[in-house]
Amino acid sequence: MLTVSRKTERLVNLTIALLATKRYITKSEIFRTVDGYEGSDESKERMFERDKDDLRNLGIEIEVGTFDPLFEDESGYRIKPENYQFQLGEVNAQEITFLSLAAEAWRGASMGPSALSALNKLHAIGIESDTELLLDLAPAIITQDANVAIAISAITSKTVLSFSYLSEDLETQSRVLEPYAVTSRYGHWYIFGNDLDRKADRLFRLDRISGDLKMQGRSGAFQIPAELDVNAAFAKSSELTTASIFLRDGRGLNLRSRGLQNTTTIAPAGWQEFHIDYRDRARFIEEILWYGNDVIVSEPADLRIEILNILKEGVATYG
Amino acid sequence: MVKTQSTPVEKAARLLDLVPYISTHQGIALSELAEEFNLSESELLSDLNTLWMCGLPGYTPLELIDLEFDSGYVSIRNAEVLQRVRLLTKQELVIILLGLDILRSSLDPKREDLQEAISGLTIKIKEIVGNVATASPIVNSTHRAIITQAIGSRMDLSIKYHSAIRDTVTERVITPLELSLDYGFEVLNAYCQSAEGFRTFRLDNMKSVEIAGSSVSVPQQSDVAEFIWQLLIKSRFRTSSERFRSTYKARESTEGEQVTVNSFSQDWLLRNAMSTLASVEVQLPLSARSLIAEKCQQSLELYENWAFSN
Repeated sequence: MLTVSRKTERLVNLTIALLATKRYITKSEIFRTVDGYEGSDESKERMFERDKDDLRNLGIEIEVGTFDPLFEDESGYRIKPENYQFQLGEVNAQEITFLSLAAEAWRGASMGPSALSALNKLHAIGIESDTELLLDLAPAIITQDANVAIAISAITSKTVLSFSYLSEDLETQSRVLEPYAVTSRYGHWYIFGNDLDRKADRLFRLDRISGDLKMQGRSGAFQIPAELDVNAAFAKSSELTTASIFLRDGRGLNLRSRGLQNTTTIAPAGWQEFHIDYRDRARFIEEILWYGNDVIVSEPADLRIEILNILKEGVATYG
Repeated sequence: MVKTQSTPVEKAARLLDLVPYISTHQGIALSELAEEFNLSESELLSDLNTLWMCGLPGYTPLELIDLEFDSGYVSIRNAEVLQRVRLLTKQELVIILLGLDILRSSLDPKREDLQEAISGLTIKIKEIVGNVATASPIVNSTHRAIITQAIGSRMDLSIKYHSAIRDTVTERVITPLELSLDYGFEVLNAYCQSAEGFRTFRLDNMKSVEIAGSSVSVPQQSDVAEFIWQLLIKSRFRTSSERFRSTYKARESTEGEQVTVNSFSQDWLLRNAMSTLASVEVQLPLSARSLIAEKCQQSLELYENWAFSN
């Protein structure tokens, strides 16, 4: 317990010393004046190197510079206040409310500890939240998937990830990925990045990963492209096709809201004809079949024939 | 939630955040401070005692951070160097970015001032971390807020609900009981006054949610029979398992996979069986097989009807 608090004390004291100084201070000055550096020269060196890494992991950037421009023999260290302090500038009560609600959304989810420390900082600014805004909003991110946290930390530290992914045939595929982005949509989490074996950008659904994401190698191992468009990755998966379908009165609500009614032709009484776009043919067939005899495909012909054959096969199997 | 012992580095980070917090909340009660940082009071006291030993080189009373907390209220002096609020780490910025996305989509689109305020923050954060995280929530946060409020104050709700199984939108009065998770989706367990039975509603399928009035009593929950079906998955193993919410793992054989699935809704099972007609065979019960045969026959008749031919 004693060693725990000595290490903590030393990190805080080092931060204070480096933050207070207006000039670079040398390593020997640090060892002489900052409380907690003890033992042989070698062990002090080791302590200092580890402390620097630990602070960097907390987002505290230690600057290395020359102590005296005329003599380049010994380098010095300092923390610039502008690199230490809250970086979103002046914020008003409304903005604090939004930022806090955004962090609060993760309470109890897999990113709980980061959400808490973010909230502590936001509250430390000392501006009261706008409580009227808080009343009717309760954003929540409910994921308990620990891989979401690992993915975010790999992206922010630019560390390569390896994992096994289950294919449609439920075969295990080993993947090595430079992760660029995470996204949540249709109620699922996805990770997007550069698949190092396939040498192409790929998208993976996190709940289809078998086991944990594993960080691999050093941080800062790659660059995230400046022009990153995850939405495009979803759209890219396959070509868009337009189908023409008949919907029974008041039925196929999801299809109705996605499609466009065709009013130029006359559908059978009690039915409407809709045009609707789809990308994944197999998924679209499954969606159509979900509605049974409330949805009938008219075009394209090959899609109609495929569904017809599936139904015939169904009669043969179950009839 | 079980709390784990913080590492020395985590503790150092917390101390650095405690200083500015106390500085803007001078005289805060120990208990309140402990709650803000999610600590027990003894953990907080240990933090404050450590902080008390820190300061500028020299470490005389002139340089040390001066803390006062014997009275049960905490105040701080001589901590100017650490008074600035620490920067948000990239991780923290990313989770805030995701949270803001979710927040924005639940705000009234007509409140342009609020939409703009959120966009402004999003842009600022993206300048620092890049466009690395987006979220399109499926649940409206306002609905969640009203539901939570109704559960807390024992109020009934009037909802417009889109049931994918029935393929209809209905208006119901329900007594909300609890929010929970069902296969990753947020659901509300409730007593439906309209249907006079216990029902589970997916939050993402609620079209509108309003407080309806005080709750009347809810009857005892009785056991409802569950439908249990036996399936043979022949292809599209992952998609088919996901549809029937059957857990899956890596396979080695190339054979079909026999699984048992269950649900309180026979309609749901039946619709899924139709969806996966080409890749899954329902083996048991036999009554299910004849229902599926009937459905196939009904659809076929329409396809063979001249009115629907092209």
